[in-house]
Amino acid sequence: MLLDIRDLNIVYRMRNKAIYAVNNVNFSLEKGKSLGIIGESGSGKSTLAMAILKMHNLKNTEVTGQIIFEGRDLLALDEKQFKEYRWTRIAAVFQKSMNNLSPVHKIGTHFEDIYRVHEPDISSSEIRERVYALFHMVNLSPRVYTCYPHELSGGMLQRVSIALSLIFHPTLLIMDESTTALDVITQGQILEEIKELEKVVDVTRIMITHDLFVVATACQQILVLYAGDMMEYGDVRDVLNHPMHPYTKALIASFPSLRGEKREVHSIPGTLPDLSVKTRGCAFYDRCRAHREICRQEKPVVCQTGGLHTVCCHLYGKIRETDVKEGVNR
Amino acid sequence: MRRYIFRRLLTAVFIILIVVILNFTIIKTAPGDPARLMAGFDNPSEELIQSITEKYGFDQPFYIQIGRYFKSVIRGDLGDSYLYNQPVARLIADRIGPSLLLSGVSIILALIIGSLLGLYAGKNEGKLIDKIFSTISYFLNSMPSFWIGIMLILLLASHFKWLPTQGMVNVRANYTGFRRVLDIATHMILPVITLVSVQIPTYFRITKSAVMQVMAEDFITTLRVAGMKEGAIFRKYVFKNAVLPIINVFSINLAYVVAGSMLVEIVFSWPGIGVLMYRSIMMRDYNVLMGVYLLISVSVVIVTILMDLVNAALDPRIRYE
Repeated sequence: MLLDIRDLNIVYRMRNKAIYAVNNVNFSLEKGKSLGIIGESGSGKSTLAMAILKMHNLKNTEVTGQIIFEGRDLLALDEKQFKEYRWTRIAAVFQKSMNNLSPVHKIGTHFEDIYRVHEPDISSSEIRERVYALFHMVNLSPRVYTCYPHELSGGMLQRVSIALSLIFHPTLLIMDESTTALDVITQGQILEEIKELEKVVDVTRIMITHDLFVVATACQQILVLYAGDMMEYGDVRDVLNHPMHPYTKALIASFPSLRGEKREVHSIPGTLPDLSVKTRGCAFYDRCRAHREICRQEKPVVCQTGGLHTVCCHLYGKIRETDVKEGVNR
Repeated sequence: MRRYIFRRLLTAVFIILIVVILNFTIIKTAPGDPARLMAGFDNPSEELIQSITEKYGFDQPFYIQIGRYFKSVIRGDLGDSYLYNQPVARLIADRIGPSLLLSGVSIILALIIGSLLGLYAGKNEGKLIDKIFSTISYFLNSMPSFWIGIMLILLLASHFKWLPTQGMVNVRANYTGFRRVLDIATHMILPVITLVSVQIPTYFRITKSAVMQVMAEDFITTLRVAGMKEGAIFRKYVFKNAVLPIINVFSINLAYVVAGSMLVEIVFSWPGIGVLMYRSIMMRDYNVLMGVYLLISVSVVIVTILMDLVNAALDPRIRYE
């Protein structure tokens, strides 16, 4: 197992309140299986990613649980020990709004500076040679090395960011909303290129997005988060074809279908609950169409429904048990 | 590059032309008869007023007056002051040195101090030191420059008698050489403190917000995730990105370097352009006023072009197009 996350809780402590950003998240990721983490804004996706990258300021953020990466609990490491992992084994691509690169520095400067973090004595020409090879892999011309970011298109910048993340051949790559700022066509191209790239480079990818299409086309596994709680987890095909959690169902219904019959797109009424209040029951209770009394009283537990597919919903746990007992036909 | 400068200069000439016309029009249409003022206050005779009007051509049609003005300006003749009975060019030339000295020193000091404090506060945003700096900055920002000047005079000059209250040199001493420099420096302390205190908040705020904005950018997160040291990120990436808005504000301020400190000059009786401008406004000394305005607009235009070039050199996104 490459990554095993156990009982991860992340709380942002503020002066007079706490934000429960991630609650009891459990999942594991095998080498080579790409995972898409999906959820709306405020669902804890990026917070989760930042925890894997150990980027939280521990002065005001509580991170508890375990993040076991290649057999070691990252949360137990101090910054000095974790430095060995930074970019060499876990790298990231951020590009929420086309500013993953400093606008006043040349592309090459970024590469040189990051190379020298781990290999201080490497020569500029050596870096250049290695970067050219990376550029070749992501379909960029070597000319890009001396360009400034504004001279490149969005898709090219994205390729540069991907090349930048691959310089030390990391085993885990986190892409946080990295195709969000691109148009659909470029996004599609980039996703295809990433999949091609993964046939050559041995890297496992976690993609954070709010776009179901990105997960559907470029990931093998999916984790659905809502208000910091895990809703559903499993193989992309299983989850998208047979969604179990009412939230996942609603999420799928809110995206238009490309193939198949035309149908109305349904938004999910309501908004995220207040994250500063620790809910007793299910986080999705207020917006759930199928909610019952128990959903407000008790947190649903993880239900294994065969294989990898798990869901956190009373409908498949307690409610089903009582329904079966009482002979209710749902 | 050369074409860019040439084009900018061409626009500059055009702008100055418009400024001259505007100035001339506004001043001429303002109420008050200059001939009457020049004739003195003790019930001047109508003949005297008439002869003054004719001498200076105040009764000529507007286009003839402005045409005449343009012609002489091009020859470098800004006319004579009614008040001082001297060529305007001479008056300005005598006073531009002290003004440049005072404003130049204060604007550079304010830039350095304000942006250093801003960098520090931006880096330590939310901490106690940031709160202290920000509070002081708000205080300074809400005080008018002349008031600070008067308070400083009351406290440090009148009460403690540490520093001279006014002027640029000690007129009784007639120092030469190094002692003269020292004398001027002593006289500069209070006006410079005044001017620096009112300018610091501008640099402080713009620098702080620029730093905070850059620190939140994705590329900073990327460098941090990659393990680059915080200090190195700050020196190389945050600084170079944050410096651009500072340069812009600096160039706007610099444009007023010649006459921007009028009130402070008056408070400290500094023998500069500010005092000259103030007196000519009060006495409707048209030629001097137009001369000073011309000087200000020319310096604003030149400084703007210079700062555009500096900006283009620092920011790769700006090209000489």
